[in-house]
Amino acid sequence: MGRRVVSSGGEASATASRRASIVGVGETRYAKWGGITEASEYQLAVQSVLAALDDAGLSVDDVDGLASFADDRNEATFLAADLGIPELRYATMSWLPGGGGACAAVSNAATAVETGQAEVVVVYRSLCQGQFRRFGRGPGNAAPKPRPETRPAPRPGVRRARSLLEAHVAFTMPFGMFGPPIAYAMVTKRHMHRFGTTTEQLGAVAVTTRAHAARNPRAIMGERTMTMDDYLASRMVSDPFRLFDCCLESDGACAVVVTTPERAADTRRGGVTILASAQGTLRGFGHGQYSNVSMPDDDYASAGARQVAARLWGRAGVGPGDVDVAEIYDHFTGLVLLSLEDFGFCGRGEGGPFAASGAMSWPDGSIPTNTHGGSLSEAYVHGLNHVVEGVRQLRGDSTCQVEGAQTCLVTSAAGVPTSALVLART
Amino acid sequence: MVGDTERWFPDDMPPPAANAETAGWWEACAAHRLVVQRCTACGATRHPPGPVCPRCRVTTAEWAELPGTGTVYTFTVVRQAFLPSLAQTVPYVVAAVEPDGGGGARMVSNVVGCDPEEVSVGMEVEVVWEDMGPELALPRFRPRGRLEGDR
Repeated sequence: MGRRVVSSGGEASATASRRASIVGVGETRYAKWGGITEASEYQLAVQSVLAALDDAGLSVDDVDGLASFADDRNEATFLAADLGIPELRYATMSWLPGGGGACAAVSNAATAVETGQAEVVVVYRSLCQGQFRRFGRGPGNAAPKPRPETRPAPRPGVRRARSLLEAHVAFTMPFGMFGPPIAYAMVTKRHMHRFGTTTEQLGAVAVTTRAHAARNPRAIMGERTMTMDDYLASRMVSDPFRLFDCCLESDGACAVVVTTPERAADTRRGGVTILASAQGTLRGFGHGQYSNVSMPDDDYASAGARQVAARLWGRAGVGPGDVDVAEIYDHFTGLVLLSLEDFGFCGRGEGGPFAASGAMSWPDGSIPTNTHGGSLSEAYVHGLNHVVEGVRQLRGDSTCQVEGAQTCLVTSAAGVPTSALVLART
Repeated sequence: MVGDTERWFPDDMPPPAANAETAGWWEACAAHRLVVQRCTACGATRHPPGPVCPRCRVTTAEWAELPGTGTVYTFTVVRQAFLPSLAQTVPYVVAAVEPDGGGGARMVSNVVGCDPEEVSVGMEVEVVWEDMGPELALPRFRPRGRLEGDR
């Protein structure tokens, strides 16, 4: 693969015997936006951590590390104090924005475990959109409250930015690019223009994912079937994205427990090995197409994950043809196609026909994808639920179980600096 | 003249926020000048503006004035009113425009002055200014060669 020595697999990842494992997964119930009122987002974070530890047969007294991502409001230091963690030895939050960091947070936990900085690290994500403003609207740019008719709106000027991100989204928000659906509709439109990707191919992602959710009792949309006609009839949000091209907005939390192979052997369910992880972004990709549209054409109409994918497969020693199942971050149908391309399941520009061929479908597709229903149909927890599902697949616990699954790819958000994992049955 | 332009978007659109690197771009806009940041050493352009040239790592830059013409690189027709006041504006077009003379830098803007259904990738456009306030003007684009007032 022509990799430089410093970035090649063996040096960058732990030797096989030291590879960290995921030994526990925990989830709260998932509900539509505003559907959870009996507990706060922070309380859900606590519940998911306790559930993941219980699943592993461990207790808070075993925990010495916490990891999260995406400007988590539920700060690790408060969580450690409130849970009564005896000694917090490691706390980290990935800089990768939005949903790009779920796999990176797991990777950071694994790095801590593999280098001996901590022994049991819990990765968590709680997201209650009903309790806070919608994620991804940009800092300080939540929709302003309507003003009384009698008071004229102030004539706007240029404000002083309070963050780098705020200065960047100033080049998008005033033009009505209010959030990710609009930004990534433009990316998908470019992909359609370049490669002939069609509406029905986007729809294939939505319909396939919904069919998987129908088997999953945790999935918010589990009882709502979707045909291609249903997809095509859903209202247009931002061309080419209809409502059903966009992920759910939901409430809920999940967590996973990462530890050493030695500890893993003694846990209730044993471990799932974190075979490899990678994170990063392309030169000039910036914060992603959400705030930057100046990157090279080949990168713009892509997931921006090409180099992450190459590093990941190199470290794992397996390729896209070897993994049995994939959990691909699905904030939008179009970006699932771009991730399938960047991670090498199909050629550049072939994501649409690949999805429409049934490749993603459980059980008969060549790479069953988002077997829990993903963010489109299970829940939007910034993709940490995709890691949970990957673990379930390798334990044999999925509601769309791929028979004999040995390896699983999990990816985080496309279109921003991102991260990914290869998980393997131990 | 500034303050007297046609209006396409409501007053309560989120106003931009600027920092030391980006303020000059907004000041140029207020004077109805479409500019791009250009490295004074190697001539590479960048947008959004930043503190250092990512090609040669020189920190000095200038604002290069652009002719105001360009091409639609990609776009979307937004049909959901994300602000209540946009209910009368939707559907509207958000586009990535590649300005002529911009050295490949692209800008997020809008295509106005035509039916959204007419917009296509590759459409030639030209800048048209919208004064949002005394200190704030935004560059929108319209199909190139339309007569003044021709919607």
